[in-house]
Amino acid sequence: MTSTILQTKHLFKHFDGVKAVDHLSVSFEKGKITSIIGPNGSGKSTLINLLTGLVPLDAGEVIIAHSLHFTRVKSHEVAGFGLTRTFQDVRLFEQLSVLDNILVVLTERGVFASLFETHGTLHLAQAEEVLKKMGLWEKRHSLAINLSYGQRKLLEIARVLAMTRSARTGRAADIIFFDEPFAGLFPEMRKVVVSVMKELRAEGRTQILVEHNMELIRELSDEVVVLDAGELLAQGVPNEVLAKREVIEAYLGE
Amino acid sequence: MDIVPQLIANSLIAGSIYAILTLGFNLTYSTAKFIDIGFGVETAIGGYSVFYLCKTLGLPLYFGIFLGLFCSGLVSFLAYRFIYKPLRARKASGTVLLIASLGVLTALQALVAILFTSQFQTLSGLIQANRVFELLGGTFTAVQLSIFCTVLILSVLLAFLLKGTLFGKAITAISDDEEVAKIVGINTERVMGEVFFISGMIGGLAGILIGFDTGIEPIMGLSWLLAAVVAAIVGGIGNLYGGLVGAYLLAFAENFGIWKISGEWKMAIAFGLLIIFLVWRPRGLFPR
Ligand SMILES: Nc1ncnc2c1ncn2[C@@H]1O[C@H](COP(=O)(O)OP(=O)(O)OP(=O)(O)O)[C@@H](O)[C@H]1O
Ligand SMILES: [Mg+2]
Repeated sequence: MTSTILQTKHLFKHFDGVKAVDHLSVSFEKGKITSIIGPNGSGKSTLINLLTGLVPLDAGEVIIAHSLHFTRVKSHEVAGFGLTRTFQDVRLFEQLSVLDNILVVLTERGVFASLFETHGTLHLAQAEEVLKKMGLWEKRHSLAINLSYGQRKLLEIARVLAMTRSARTGRAADIIFFDEPFAGLFPEMRKVVVSVMKELRAEGRTQILVEHNMELIRELSDEVVVLDAGELLAQGVPNEVLAKREVIEAYLGE
Repeated sequence: MDIVPQLIANSLIAGSIYAILTLGFNLTYSTAKFIDIGFGVETAIGGYSVFYLCKTLGLPLYFGIFLGLFCSGLVSFLAYRFIYKPLRARKASGTVLLIASLGVLTALQALVAILFTSQFQTLSGLIQANRVFELLGGTFTAVQLSIFCTVLILSVLLAFLLKGTLFGKAITAISDDEEVAKIVGINTERVMGEVFFISGMIGGLAGILIGFDTGIEPIMGLSWLLAAVVAAIVGGIGNLYGGLVGAYLLAFAENFGIWKISGEWKMAIAFGLLIIFLVWRPRGLFPR
């Protein structure tokens, strides 16, 4: 049995003349890993940006869990709906330590509360767990800005994990967008990310993965969505979709 | 009499006022990322609040100062809540926000002038005796000494708030990447409102100290604000501790500059320093 958790209807976004996402109606199944593939510039990142309120949509609708309909997605509200994401170009809190990058997500406070309160042991334990999982615990006191490229990518994923552990925003994250999380990672690091994604699936969370590597797509995806020039080209199980002639052509036509 | 020790003393005093203001200015700049000219008017709000509460109503001094700080914080918070926040939500540019904040300064200083006339006032009568100290050939008053101490205390307090508390971490996160801070569910608007409140209190504190040292007038805000902006740019805009260096550097340049030329050139020296930095080191001594 499947159920749709996130859906777009006629979603539209253009950037001076370029139709980045063109009347796109697509749906994502709860608890599955859906990969979004498509040539460079086909609108994959823009779709994620629209769904997380990073760029305003021009037209169309976003529907979460069948019941919440949006024609405007506000970035400060998405965490409250259980959405979180990574960025194609990693975005961290550069002037905070690795540990604080996680703790700030778990325990942000107002000025008065923060005078009488420090990180509870629960939060420290959560931060330790996610940082150890990503192999960053040893680095916890380094500033994020001083990490290597791969470590930065892993820290961003650790932040996502922290959001799945915390209901501070009203809801622990259960719909997660990964925008090319494997790009530029060493094979050992890739393995860590693969296992994290599999664990998140086992926990029943919905994941939307943008990826170019076919091997990883076949290994991880339950579903594949193919975009081309902002339009939906195909959607379905990996073996069928990846064998379709128009999909192969879109990729080879690059 | 050798004039150099007194010039040093004067530079330290002026630099300390600049330093307090620069801390407040940089605090909002580093989070909200625009030049808040309205910050200047908090000096007048703080100063006149104490003037009204203590001189006119005769309330005890410490109570007056406490309320004065609260008023300047509140005014700054309200300017954020009702002007800057809606503009920022509409993705207004830094220039639009700067002009809006100029409007805040102009409107509020006019309001202060209507309430209290534009006459120059001093708070010095509120303390019994302003003792004069002599140190290494320069003279200081007790008020001036407390201005200097205020800088030390305030720097330590802010360092603790920013580095040592959960609130400070949220501020740093917002100043690093506000969009991401929002997406991970940090309550950026509340944090920023509190930052404006604190920065307003710091502006008010400077105004009160200026009132004890020399005096206050409704239009005092702009010139103090400009000094703070110059000091902030020299130190590396948005960098709190760089701003402290910038503040004292500016004060030394001004005071030693007018040693040989007329005092009317003080402003010109400040802007000369600004131009030198904008041309040769636009990101300041300690870029963030
Ligand atoms: N902020 C923006 N301003 C202007 N144009 C943009 C912006 N973001 C995306 N675009 C354009 O929209 C189109 C889709 O871009 P998008 O980044 O979504 O593609 P993508 O599928 O993620 O590509 P890639 O595989 O290279 O990451 C491109 O033509 C891009 O230039
Ligand atoms: Mg992309």
